Amino acid sequence: MPKHYRPAGKKKEGNAAKYITRSQALKQLQVNTKLFRKLCIYKGVFPREPKKKFKGNHQTYYHLKDVSFIRHDPILEDLRAKSAYRKKIIKAKAKRNKELADILKNRQPEIKLDRLVQERYPHFIDALRDLDDPLTLVHLFAALPASDRLKIEVKRVHNCRKLSHEWQAYISRTHKLRKVFISVKGVYYQAEVEGQKITWLTPHGMQQVLPDDDVVYDVLLSFLEFYETLLAFVNFKLYHSINVKYPPILDPQLEASAAELYALARYFDANSRPSEKVEATQEEESELRLAQLQHQLPSNEPGALMQLVKDAADENEEDEDTKECKNLFKNMRFFLSREVPRESMLFVIPAFGGTVSWEGEGAPFSETDQSITHQIVDRPTQGHVYLSREYVQPQWVYDCVNTRIILPTDAYMVGRVPPPHLSPFVDNEEEGYVPDYAETIKRLKSAAKNEILPMPGMGKEDLDDPTKFVG
Amino acid sequence: MGKIAKGSRKGKKAWRANISTEDIEDFFEQSNKDALSGGSLSQLPNDSLFYVDNSKDLSVKRKIEKHREKVLRCDSVLQKNPFVQALPSSKPKQKKKSKKENKDVVKEKDETRDGQKSDGASASGMVDIWANEGEGDNPKKVPKPSVIPAVEVEASGCSYNPTFESHQESLAQAVAEEMQKVYRKELGPEPVPITVPGEVINDEDRYFLEVDNGSDDENVENLSENQDTGNENRSRKTKKVTRVELNKRERHKELHRKEAEAKKREELSKQIDSLPNIIEEITKEDEEKQKRHIRRVVAMQERLKVRPPRLGKHKFEPAPTQVLLSEEITGSLRKLKGCCTLVKDRFKSLEKRGLIVPVKGKRLDELSTLLLLFLSLVVAILLIRVTVDYLKQRL
Repeated sequence: MPKHYRPAGKKKEGNAAKYITRSQALKQLQVNTKLFRKLCIYKGVFPREPKKKFKGNHQTYYHLKDVSFIRHDPILEDLRAKSAYRKKIIKAKAKRNKELADILKNRQPEIKLDRLVQERYPHFIDALRDLDDPLTLVHLFAALPASDRLKIEVKRVHNCRKLSHEWQAYISRTHKLRKVFISVKGVYYQAEVEGQKITWLTPHGMQQVLPDDDVVYDVLLSFLEFYETLLAFVNFKLYHSINVKYPPILDPQLEASAAELYALARYFDANSRPSEKVEATQEEESELRLAQLQHQLPSNEPGALMQLVKDAADENEEDEDTKECKNLFKNMRFFLSREVPRESMLFVIPAFGGTVSWEGEGAPFSETDQSITHQIVDRPTQGHVYLSREYVQPQWVYDCVNTRIILPTDAYMVGRVPPPHLSPFVDNEEEGYVPDYAETIKRLKSAAKNEILPMPGMGKEDLDDPTKFVG
Repeated sequence: MGKIAKGSRKGKKAWRANISTEDIEDFFEQSNKDALSGGSLSQLPNDSLFYVDNSKDLSVKRKIEKHREKVLRCDSVLQKNPFVQALPSSKPKQKKKSKKENKDVVKEKDETRDGQKSDGASASGMVDIWANEGEGDNPKKVPKPSVIPAVEVEASGCSYNPTFESHQESLAQAVAEEMQKVYRKELGPEPVPITVPGEVINDEDRYFLEVDNGSDDENVENLSENQDTGNENRSRKTKKVTRVELNKRERHKELHRKEAEAKKREELSKQIDSLPNIIEEITKEDEEKQKRHIRRVVAMQERLKVRPPRLGKHKFEPAPTQVLLSEEITGSLRKLKGCCTLVKDRFKSLEKRGLIVPVKGKRLDELSTLLLLFLSLVVAILLIRVTVDYLKQRL
């Protein structure tokens, strides 16, 4: 009978058997720290806190199962092969063999993270649930300057821009945006997709700084790589659900001039497969027209959806909220001045059913167009004033979006300090304190819905007894 | 003695006695035998002795397979009746098969996926990875690293155009954080100074210092001498113990023992009397412990909502709240002085959720900056000296 004995050094139970320190993990996996960090990020492994830190408080502990999970993943071998390949390039360079080095660089093996994405998010709803962080990171990197020293590649930044625009175009088109909040850090958006509330943060339009201390860029780039893949798949699925082909092939001229959202909108219109034959012919016509227009236009930026749209996407599947949002800015045409944050506006306004244009080439309509109902300006004074339209500050748009009614524009006129921008993420009743402007908004809302509200300072007693109104 | 007993090796007699001729005799025997039986084995060619067996090898059965092949007597009895089918009493392991099945299913999925890829994918080769959903996958719960959400929306006071009250709140919070840091620095222990300003020592004082050093040695010598004499004196004073003394000691011991016993009994009876009190005390203690435990658990949960547990060498430093100062609230989006280091915010968020181990602050504190400066100065001076010497030598 073979005797079962425990090998020397292997513990049977307790914390020591379940957790290992980072250095032990490195020895087991035979990788260096950088690679280990990357693997942890790709596989979603995070350090734990065991009840008893048997090797000291200054060590990082990982679950033994997590480490074996990493060990048995084929991506480990792929990464090792990649680093071996990199050594070849270094060797070629050292031997002053430039051609070989260049050839090797071009033929570098690429690692695909598709399988890992599927492993970590077996269902689509899981991916949606975890979409906050990826969206924020991708939007952030879309706004960062490329840096050779920190290994932020131009290609990466462009890819992030592309993904972020695709996402925004989808949300805008399907009217899924619900809340917007402008804070010091940036602009917070919240959308609702398939019942999941997704919140993300976009930086302001200013130049972002790359801080050197406290931030390890390798880590951020590994996260970014994983999240890019995830977001690409999510976009693919979402686009398929509205019958649009992904990845969208945009007009290269528009792309070059950073007109992505606009180009995407046109792509949507051109490519949403119609249900009947009649619309097929119309679609061809519109495609032709599109091609013609695109040749004429070199320009920039996302724009007029509603003009070109003939059939809107599946209406029957929309719910109450979406319908409400779709009709908020119905029949309103906006024009943006130069100093207004363009990308944000071009995302928000079409998401609520409005049409928007701006100053510059390729815009759907110009400043002199008579049908413009609102012009958005942010200057202290406005020179020439058209009488047929209202001049408002950009905050008016955001506040309307948050309250879902068209607020009176006199408070937001040019030159005035607008009323405070309230956060839609704060539930005022919960806090117990309701700011004054919120009260005003409530009244306006109920006026729109023709309700009777009690007078300020009194309770609801009067409402119960109708005779009091009469007498 | 042993060496002599073994016998000396000198002399021819010694040589002759100890050499054994066994191997030579063996050889002769063997060769005789070979000659008689028809040639020695080592001289035959390989083929006559060995041949390669190409017939099929008997498979080596594992012990457990052999065990499973055994038919039990009860089964063999049933086998005789063809109409009764025997169920094997010992089931072979099902686990391995299901694993293999899963692998096959996964492989099939891969193949179909690849097939799909070639059909419906666009030029970039992208495919819907969630197309095969709803196949009743195991609802395996992935452990979340932290309850903290990925994107935390800031308070109302951090808006670009906040209400007065909410702005004051957020400002107060930011100020409180800063003041905490300041207080911690002030009230904490003083950092050790690198250099202590010294005083010039006079010549007289120096002599005193030297004197002290010398006297120390002398004191040590004196002490050791005194101790030795003390021991000897004491040893002359102990007397022999008499019988009287011994009896006295015994009697005293007995008395003490009896007293101790009586005391014990009294205490025991006291405890028995106050039993309900004791029970009360115990329950109270238990309650206290429970409450403490609950308090600690709740406190830990609260802490986890705000910061990660200690995961490495360095503590987690939360990012400061981004609030506009009162002067900076202009109400205009164009003039907004926004936050331009969103990268840091994202990194801190990752640390906060425990996905990354907090990184050490690369900011040098006073001590290390001063040290660095000092070292660099020293190195510079040395270098200059070396070059000057070298140049002097050359010239």
